[in-house]
Amino acid sequence: MRKDDGLQIIMGKRKMTREEFFKEKENLRELRSQMSFEEKIKALVRLQEIALRWGNKKDVIVWKL
Amino acid sequence: MKRALEVIIDLKEKGLIKDYAIGGAIGALRWTEPFFTYDLDIFVILQEEVVLDLSPIYEYLEKKGYSWQGQWIVIEGIPVDFVPVDEIGREAVEKAVEVDFEGLKVRVIVPEYLIALFLKAGRDKDMRKIEMLLPKADQQKLVNVLNKYGLTKDFEERFGHHEKR
Repeated sequence: MRKDDGLQIIMGKRKMTREEFFKEKENLRELRSQMSFEEKIKALVRLQEIALRWGNKKDVIVWKL
Repeated sequence: MKRALEVIIDLKEKGLIKDYAIGGAIGALRWTEPFFTYDLDIFVILQEEVVLDLSPIYEYLEKKGYSWQGQWIVIEGIPVDFVPVDEIGREAVEKAVEVDFEGLKVRVIVPEYLIALFLKAGRDKDMRKIEMLLPKADQQKLVNVLNKYGLTKDFEERFGHHEKR
């Protein structure tokens, strides 16, 4: 057993092990992959807006939905 | 986005291309979680493949009023790259699936071919997309595509043996 296996991560009222934390991240990734194509494109446009405004990517064209 | 896709479908209806499918990052994004990208890659099978001449497509689009911005032609606010297919790209387009986008049926390349195409491209960012697509791929279909196009060794060097993943 690794030394940090039993360590708990606390987020507000939630408490979980590192293993549970990463498992949850993986589950969320899977959930996001099941979004509709339209929703994913909307998310992409939000990422493009962020890249243009805060990411210093001046060559980004924010897509028209 | 829908308007841009309608223009691309119109290219096929007008006979400027034989067929098309969405590939690249947006093709991958159909199967994975959302991630950032700049442009929309459209893989096209041209009518005449002796010379890979995209100019009829661009001339048609320019006549319709769409203009260039940097390396892309911007169709209804979407920067688009047209990619003429090679042998594997042709099969990828032929085996693409129809996906609904706001009531429009659009063709998207499936994960197994996207993985093979990204592997051929070989850039670091392509390898990251492969990692995201691997859980979405049918393992046997992927093995078949990689074997058919001589990509198995390259794949295994980068990602290990597929069946052990």
